[in-house]
Amino acid sequence: MANQDKPKLKMAIYWGAGCGGCCVSVLDVHEKLFDVVAVADLVFWPIALDIKYKDVEAMADGFIDLTLFNGAVRNSENEHMARLLRQKSKILVAYGSCAHLGGIPGLANLTNKNELFNRIYLETESTLNPDGIIPKTHFNVTEGELELPEFFNDVRALNQVVDVDYYLPGCPPRTERLIEVFMAIVNKAELPPNGSVVGAWEKTLCDECKRKKTDNKVIRKFYRPWEIHDDGETCFLEQGVICMGPATRGGCGYRCIEGNAPCQGCYGPPADAPDPGAKMMSAIGTIIDSNLEIEIEEIVDAIVDPVGTFYRFSLPKAILRKKMSVPKPVN
Amino acid sequence: MEFEPKIVAFLCNWCSYTGADLAGTSRMKYSPSLRIIRVMCSGRICPTFIFKAFQEGADGVLVCGCHPGDCHYNEGNYKCLRRFKLIEKYIRQMGIEPDRIRLAWISASEGKLFAELANEMTQTIKNLGPSTIKAQLEQMV
Amino acid sequence: MEEIRIGVYICWCGTNIAKNVDVERVAAEAGKLQGVVVARDYKYMCSDPGQDLMVKDIQEMNLNRIVVAACSPRIHEITFRKALEKAGLNPYLFQMANIREQVSWVHDDREKATQKAIDLVTGAVKRVRWQEALNKRSVKVNPATLVIGGGIAGLTAAREIARTGRIVFLVEKEKSLGGMMKKINRTFPNLDEASKYLNPIIEEVSSHPHIQVYLNSQLVKLSGYVGNFIGTVNHKETQSELEFGNIIVATGLKPFKPTPLSNYAYKRLPNIITSVEFEEMLSKGYIRLDSRQEPKHVAIIHCVGSRNPDFLPYCSRTCCQTALKFANQIKDLLPKAHVYQIYADMRSMSKGCEEMYSKTAKRGVMFLMYDQKGKLPYIREAGKNEKTRLVIEMKELLSGEQVEVTADLVILMVGMEAQETSKQLSQVLGISRCSNNFYIEKHPKLDPVATTTDGVFIVGSCQAPKEISDSASQAKAAAARVLAMINKDWVEVEVITSSVREEICCGCQICVHVCPYGAIEFLKEKKVSCVNEVICKGCGTCASACPTGAIGSRHFTEKQILAQIEGVMLQLLEV
Repeated sequence: MANQDKPKLKMAIYWGAGCGGCCVSVLDVHEKLFDVVAVADLVFWPIALDIKYKDVEAMADGFIDLTLFNGAVRNSENEHMARLLRQKSKILVAYGSCAHLGGIPGLANLTNKNELFNRIYLETESTLNPDGIIPKTHFNVTEGELELPEFFNDVRALNQVVDVDYYLPGCPPRTERLIEVFMAIVNKAELPPNGSVVGAWEKTLCDECKRKKTDNKVIRKFYRPWEIHDDGETCFLEQGVICMGPATRGGCGYRCIEGNAPCQGCYGPPADAPDPGAKMMSAIGTIIDSNLEIEIEEIVDAIVDPVGTFYRFSLPKAILRKKMSVPKPVN
Repeated sequence: MEFEPKIVAFLCNWCSYTGADLAGTSRMKYSPSLRIIRVMCSGRICPTFIFKAFQEGADGVLVCGCHPGDCHYNEGNYKCLRRFKLIEKYIRQMGIEPDRIRLAWISASEGKLFAELANEMTQTIKNLGPSTIKAQLEQMV
Repeated sequence: MEEIRIGVYICWCGTNIAKNVDVERVAAEAGKLQGVVVARDYKYMCSDPGQDLMVKDIQEMNLNRIVVAACSPRIHEITFRKALEKAGLNPYLFQMANIREQVSWVHDDREKATQKAIDLVTGAVKRVRWQEALNKRSVKVNPATLVIGGGIAGLTAAREIARTGRIVFLVEKEKSLGGMMKKINRTFPNLDEASKYLNPIIEEVSSHPHIQVYLNSQLVKLSGYVGNFIGTVNHKETQSELEFGNIIVATGLKPFKPTPLSNYAYKRLPNIITSVEFEEMLSKGYIRLDSRQEPKHVAIIHCVGSRNPDFLPYCSRTCCQTALKFANQIKDLLPKAHVYQIYADMRSMSKGCEEMYSKTAKRGVMFLMYDQKGKLPYIREAGKNEKTRLVIEMKELLSGEQVEVTADLVILMVGMEAQETSKQLSQVLGISRCSNNFYIEKHPKLDPVATTTDGVFIVGSCQAPKEISDSASQAKAAAARVLAMINKDWVEVEVITSSVREEICCGCQICVHVCPYGAIEFLKEKKVSCVNEVICKGCGTCASACPTGAIGSRHFTEKQILAQIEGVMLQLLEV
């Protein structure tokens, strides 16, 4: 496959605020890794290679051909690396749900820095911190001044910090999709317009989902997945379980459905429904089977956590992207 | 200067918009806070519109449709009601005062009620004070 | 993509708008918006010169989007759309901002009204940019007509249409034709026998080869659209499915039951009857009491239920004339009887009725006025020494004195109210009702027999109480409208419908039962939903229920509405 005449692609992978699953999904190429390294040189990948930030800083602008940036932007280190890699890369890909939409870390937008610090460093049951020490960005020790990244109030998706060329969604992205996109770039295939989602379908998950779907979409009661005797065949929505499939791009290979769990939306919204939570709330609300206000309220009450249900992976990219802090009344 | 709220109001064409017109033809005076957007049916109103209005700086959002049982399209208003209940719950979780959104049924003959509703809602929003949603959303770090 | 070139026109509506809105400033602010090529204000945009101004601009300045800020779109949207067509522009590339009904008429503060007008215009300008040309579609008109109600209005409409050789289905919920008119003995002002007019029409309708009469029947279900309706008619245990192109609703009204007005002692004391019961008595040819004696004193009480905020807040329109007619009929049958008209306001406004009033007064009928806003007349049983069985206590307004009117017989001129079935039928037909439960016409002045649902017309007293001649006029007007449509042979159908982009639709089928008209079908082979645009009425509910964005609601697209939201919130002014 490798063409000896052709210079090898210079590739970087970076891990922002995320779980590391995206990096594992890259490793999941298994034996195909040999194909990858035959055509690409990994010039930066903190999880696997000992290359320092200063080495990246020393690279010429646009030196890197392709960067897969996974993880959201939670702190100043993430932001610095996002800007740096943008500057050094020809193609910057937001890789995985966190970089694409904010992902699971993005749910922290339901709270803020102060609340988090209080909880984590002062309040948790296992904390022993009598002096109330919380992290600071600068701290003097005998060896000199220590610098820690600044923890931001909000979690942001990558494109809320820098321009992004492509989005490769998923938590994590399906490895086959990564290889397809990677090979397309290597082979200089015609790439979609900048800003496109790649490695996912235009149609949403139901299109490929193998469960039996009918037009019997009415919801009398919402159930959590463990509350039903799932027959493994019937559409989750028709069993009263909220499945984000209709508002989530296909391409994942319906892994969750195959595991008898409803879709939670990691592949993100299709092109014309940018706020998947709003769309799904609209759809789900419409098919509630009651015209009585009190009854509707009861049915809706079964959705204990609307944000976590409808925006599990996409809160930072929602129209209302974070919880509002209501100013305290003056008097 | 006194705070004059801006309330984005979504009105169905057949009942509520006609009711608002009737308030006009009857020369009823009410607060100039509403910015009315006409849709054919309250069933067309989706959460996206409401969230967008807040994002753009609306201090409140009013949704009006035909009375239950009187929808020009049979049941669009019920569908609106069901969505609205879900939106209310979500809005609360997002730290937005639930009083900033309101769903009301206004028939084509209820011009007076519409004018009263506009005043009432304006007062509610005045009591809450200006929305800071837009400013908070724009503040990124 | 074509360059967007927007023309904005701010109407003064004489002083209607200009008085409370600084129209020049609105035009100036609109002129600063992106894509706006020209922004003008003009005295009357709906006038011919106003429209010509717009047409000229479109042609000379190559405008491709138009915004008019004027009255409600419910009044002149069609007028301006036609002007666009005249200028060679698709009529849907147009948006109205309602700055009269929703601004100048409701706000006195000129500054705030002007700001609101600017916001609404900005919303319209932002929205119109995304509006798309829509093409009109036409369908053949089924020449059959459904007439609902077999009273004088329905009968007249049915006869009128059938006489041209067209099929009419006449559905009547009672067991015979004739409606309220059948209960009337003589008509005012000339005291002609009602049956003399009514019977020949019933005869003709019943035996007409082109009219199918369904008695004891009701329309229970309706699908389709103007030109091609399908209705289900229930008659007792059986059901018929009928196909027709137009519907004339002539369901009439019903008399108010005076029992809740306890001061009138209806059904509590003898010889107190309603006007409708008195008509029945007259039809039998006599006027008598329960005791079979002839009454010597007859009191007629007006406005029973009518013009009473607790019951019927409106005037029932025919009672004053009928009461005068009764006085004459009583005087004809019982020349010696004393007749008292106990009225609130005398409103005998129909043709020939003022003359009937003068004539009646000259026949020795006594007129006593009561204060409708004060204490209503009160009927009590007379004492043993009094000369009649009943006594009406009242304050006579003109003399200011408390008087007692003696009576053997009291006739209560009951008001007329909407049929109990009016709500159910309005839902079947998709037409609206006013606060008094009568059906609402499309335009109170200019389109009084049409409704906002194309192909559905309302005639006679289902729209509001009215006399026979008015009902007949409306029936003939609606018949003419229907026949014109039948003769044209085709009709334009709704273009504001939903449509599915198959390349996006995931086949979740959430939309299928969301449609109130069953217009959405799931195509199993393609695995996508499909909207039957002829059945779709354009509510847009499916578009908001669609989680993928595959369903679009034409002329109310998400882009258009979001742009409008952005526009109304875009503050141009320094506050």
